[in-house]
Amino acid sequence: MDELILLKEASVASEDSAELFESDVLVENGVIKSVSSSLKSGDGTRVIDAKGKVLLPGLFDLHVHVREPGQTSKETIRTGSEAAINGGVTGIVAMPNTAPAIDSGGMVRSVLEIAGRDSRIGFFTTGCITKDRSGKEMAAIGGMKDAGVVMITDDGSPVENPQLLRRAMEYAREFDLPLASHCETMDLSGTGAMNEGKRSYKLGIPGIPSISEEICIARDIQIAAYTGAHLHIQHVTTARGMEIIRQAKNDGVRVTCEVAPHHLIFNENDIVNYDTYYKMNPPLRTEEDNEKLLEGLIEGVFDVIATDHAPHTEFEKKQQDFEAAPFGVTGLETALPSLYHHYIKEGKFGWDLLVKRYAAEPRRILNMDQVSVKEGSKAELVLFDPQATTTFTPEFMKSKSPNTPFLNKELQGTVDLVVNGEEVLLDRSGGAA
Amino acid sequence: MSEPHKDLLQIEDLSKDEIESILAAAQPFKELFKRSVKKVPTLQGKTVLSLFYEPSTRTSSSFEVAANRLSADFTSLAVASSSVVKGETVLDTVDTLEAMRADYIVIRHKKAGIPNLVAEHTDASVINAGDGFHAHPTQALLDASTLYDVFGELDFSGKRILIVGDILHSRVARSTSRILTMLGAEVRVLGPGTLVPPGRPDKMKKFKTYDEAMDWGPDVVYLLRVQFERQGEQFFPSSGEYHSVYGLNEDRFKRIKDEGVWVMHPGPVNRGVELADSVTTYDRCLINRQVENGIATRMAVLYWLKPQTFEQDG
Repeated sequence: MDELILLKEASVASEDSAELFESDVLVENGVIKSVSSSLKSGDGTRVIDAKGKVLLPGLFDLHVHVREPGQTSKETIRTGSEAAINGGVTGIVAMPNTAPAIDSGGMVRSVLEIAGRDSRIGFFTTGCITKDRSGKEMAAIGGMKDAGVVMITDDGSPVENPQLLRRAMEYAREFDLPLASHCETMDLSGTGAMNEGKRSYKLGIPGIPSISEEICIARDIQIAAYTGAHLHIQHVTTARGMEIIRQAKNDGVRVTCEVAPHHLIFNENDIVNYDTYYKMNPPLRTEEDNEKLLEGLIEGVFDVIATDHAPHTEFEKKQQDFEAAPFGVTGLETALPSLYHHYIKEGKFGWDLLVKRYAAEPRRILNMDQVSVKEGSKAELVLFDPQATTTFTPEFMKSKSPNTPFLNKELQGTVDLVVNGEEVLLDRSGGAA
Repeated sequence: MSEPHKDLLQIEDLSKDEIESILAAAQPFKELFKRSVKKVPTLQGKTVLSLFYEPSTRTSSSFEVAANRLSADFTSLAVASSSVVKGETVLDTVDTLEAMRADYIVIRHKKAGIPNLVAEHTDASVINAGDGFHAHPTQALLDASTLYDVFGELDFSGKRILIVGDILHSRVARSTSRILTMLGAEVRVLGPGTLVPPGRPDKMKKFKTYDEAMDWGPDVVYLLRVQFERQGEQFFPSSGEYHSVYGLNEDRFKRIKDEGVWVMHPGPVNRGVELADSVTTYDRCLINRQVENGIATRMAVLYWLKPQTFEQDG
């Protein structure tokens, strides 16, 4: 690898400023050596023409399913990490609903060992709240902390028993582990497969009412307030759910939350002809929810953007009916271009919001070192070309699974270059200047 | 002229003109039934396969009679009891039917969207004979055909249809209300709060009581089959309470007779729940007419659809 990389005339994005500023950026031995104008290139420096392109810190996704161990036909730690790189994401947090579930120190160690071998990015894992995610007894939270988990969650299911959840929060609090909640009230969701409303009526698909999510958000917040634990609410989809969180934050409860790009961009009306690439849990809600969630993101209710990248094979998704097909869509490769395409390009929010919510805040929630485009920072960098376009064909995507609503669709912008420390992970920049 | 359709999956896929042409095509078949020879050679050499994953007597036999009267070969696969148990998927079964060179696949399934999935994977014409809570387009067509007989024209403007019962779980309510609305009728609903979902089309206003609904002056009261319990979940306290609040009991039947209101029901009827016994012998009770028109309408549908398998004939 080149020891010196010089990015010429890049438009640098940061969480502190809505304006991009043009600068040269020199990377030496995996660290940003200099950020200033008219930097000269010496011998052996690799020079990249970055004019008109946006340089931002490597993105960080707090909610990713890599399916390893046990479901490697859908994804592996290797393919999930490569998918992340393809989307400009240099840090991911894996969910523990694998087979078997990540619910012990031993499981955590073995997953991190595979990641050490197979992943070229920052790979972190969560562990279960309850053994085997069965909601019956507490998992080895202390042992998993010792082995390196960054958060605990039963993602995919709620902890239905409020007393067990309360005990888990009290216990996890002392290990400084955030507890992430998949908020759903199972008796209300029933056999539902999409949002309950006009669209589910029309399609004749059993609905998941918004109250299923909102009641659980409210319950979990009350328990967090009572125990003082750090609660992180995953994939919020309804305006009312978001308002409950906003109120709790105003009241000083230690709660953070995330929103997924697909819940901002799509709604129930996008489900046409039973297309299972629009089926996920929690489901796509209404157009009004899209608008309110976007407002909430801009106003700062959402701490982070996270994709809930959930790969499933084409067979599982497309050879079954809508109700039988599994919940979930992929997101790592499409998040940045889709957010650029729908919001930044349209002037709905700036690059600072994207950097803050999809790079800085998720690292902050987990008490990790920040990366930024500043002198002295580790070089975890993404160069994004807003002039080019990306078509998300199965050939382009590195994920093992094609289950995204953006399949074969074109979005404005493309990830040109990804650098992680001393390694150039991806280079589509088209050679030297 | 519109493009011929390969499949009949849901009423939404049909324009008003197309609905009218199917209903018009059904009329000569109705006349045919009055003759001693009720068969025509239209689909000679073609194969109709029926795939009923849900038990049904009237719909499956209606399709069978319709196919036979068009001289098609009709075979029904007893999927409810055979291959499904062995873990074969619907699409596996469809592959088998492809190998058998079926021209038409008539399918009923308890899951919404299965006919849509099947239609994407076969050249045969797929006819949805009822999928989950989603759609039952041939029922909608036969209901419209029945009201065409009664009203004497295909323009239902100014006609008022009251649908009573379980709107939430009814594919009949969805498809029939859609077609009647397209033909100009006004459709309103009455039923328990648990079974009349807010997600229904805005135009389908709901009534709170039978009296209020009857004061609206409906031309037709369309009763839906109700089930006391679904998957362990209860939607009203008892069948007895349903009958007393929403059933067509003797008192309400008297008013219906006095006002000459037509009565419809997709069958099978729960006597003593949706309606009192005596309703079935009422001269404006259309239940048997619906069954009879089911055959002619399904013949018209088979005649009207264009399977892609025909293209192989060159």
